[in-house]
Amino acid sequence: MSLLQKPLVVQKFRDFHDYVKNNDGKIGLKQRGLDMNLNNGCNLKCEHCFTLSPQGLNTKDRIPVEKVKDIGDQADELGIFEIDLQGGELLLNKEYLFDVLNALGTERFYVYLTTNGYFMTSEIAKKLAELGVDRVSVSIDSMDPETHDTFRGKKGSWERAINALKLVQEEGIAPYLNITVGRYNVDSDDLRLLLEYSKDNRYTTLLNIATPGGMWRNMHEICINDEDSHHLINMRKHYKNILRNLWDPFDRNREGVIGCNTVNRLYITPIGDVLPCPYVHIKIGNIFESSLKQISENGFRVKYFREYSEKCLAGEDTTFIKKFMAKEDTTIFAPQLIKDLFSDKEILPDDISLPVPRHY
Amino acid sequence: MDKVLECYQNAFVEAFELEDKSQLSTLKYQSIEEWDSIGHMALMAELEAQFGITIKTEDLIQFESYNQGVDILARYNVRITL
Repeated sequence: MSLLQKPLVVQKFRDFHDYVKNNDGKIGLKQRGLDMNLNNGCNLKCEHCFTLSPQGLNTKDRIPVEKVKDIGDQADELGIFEIDLQGGELLLNKEYLFDVLNALGTERFYVYLTTNGYFMTSEIAKKLAELGVDRVSVSIDSMDPETHDTFRGKKGSWERAINALKLVQEEGIAPYLNITVGRYNVDSDDLRLLLEYSKDNRYTTLLNIATPGGMWRNMHEICINDEDSHHLINMRKHYKNILRNLWDPFDRNREGVIGCNTVNRLYITPIGDVLPCPYVHIKIGNIFESSLKQISENGFRVKYFREYSEKCLAGEDTTFIKKFMAKEDTTIFAPQLIKDLFSDKEILPDDISLPVPRHY
Repeated sequence: MDKVLECYQNAFVEAFELEDKSQLSTLKYQSIEEWDSIGHMALMAELEAQFGITIKTEDLIQFESYNQGVDILARYNVRITL
C-alpha cells in the first residue's frame, strides 16, 4: 500500500517534517514512534539479542490486544506516526499478530514488522499487506549464509531471511534490510556486500548501531567510534538507500543528524514497561499505570534524553554508556530506575510541554 | 521557457536530485527510488518554497505524478502550461 493512501499518517509525517525543519534540523521533543515488543519468544538464538530472548526471558508475557488499541489511540493523539511491532519473533504466533494489527488501527500509522523472516510465506506477506503493514524489516548479518546462521544460532536462517525480503516486496510491502553495525564490521567487505545487495534489490537499509546491552552486556569493544560514525555518513552519501534513526531523513546533503531518538521513539516491553529506546534499559513508566503522554514527559525530564545528542546514547556515547548502562543484571525486564540512576541536577524541572500535533 | 513551468520542473530536479529534465513527464510516486514518502515531503517543501504556497494535506495525498501536480497547483493559482 502506498503511504499516500494513509492520509492521517501523511499529516503526522508532515507535521514531523515541519517541526524538524523549524527546529534547526533537530528532533527536540517531537514524538515520532513506538517500538512495541509484543512478546519476547523467539525461534533463534542471536548472539547480540538485546532482549535476552535466547535465555528465555519473559517469553510468556505479551501485551493484551485490547491494550494495543488503547496504546494506538494514545500514540495517535501524540502525533506518533510510526509503529514498529517486534519481539522476540512475532510470526511464532501469527494469529496474535493479526489480532494486534486489526486492533491497532493501521490506517493511522506507518506500521512495520521487525522479523527474522524465518516463518515468512507468501500467504503471510499477503495477509500483512491486507492488514496495513507498510514495511517489513529483516536483519541480515552477512552475505555469507554460514556466518549469518552461526550468529543467529540456526542453520537455514540466512536463506529464509533473504527470501522473506523478496516475499514482502512482491506484496507491495517496503522491504528493509537491517544491519547491526559495530567496530567489528563497520569497515568490512561483509558490510559493503550487504549494502550493495540491498541497493541492487531496491531495498532500504536500516543501520542499527551495536550496543553493549542484553547478550552483549558490557562488551564495550563492539561500540563504534567517532571515525566510524563519520565513515557511516560517507556511506550514506554513497548509498542513497541507507537510514539511521538519528539521521535527518530530509537533509538533501545527507549529513544532518536530528539527534538521538530517546523518548521520541518509545520502547514498550511485553509487561508494559516503557523505556526511552530499545537499547537504553531505564524505565520511564508503565502503560498500565500512566498515559503515554505522562510517560513521555517523565522521560524528557532526564537531561540526557531531552537535550540534543549527535550520538546514539546507547551505542556511541561512551560516557553515557559507562555511567548509566554498565550495571549488572539490567535487562529490558529489570530496567534501571530514574530515581536510582540520576542526580537531582540531571533531572530537569517538571515543565515539559510536548508539541501539539496539528491534526488535533 | 515559461518561468512558472521552469520553477515547477526545478522543484522536481531539486527534490529528487535529477540530472536532467528529460524524464519528468513520466514521473510518478514511487516510480523512481527518490520519490518515496520522504522524497514526497521534500518535493512538497520545494514546491511550497518555489511558489510561496502551503499545500493542504488532501492535495498532498493526491499529488501522485508530475502531470497530476499541474492540476493540483492550479488550485493555488499556480498556472503551469506543459
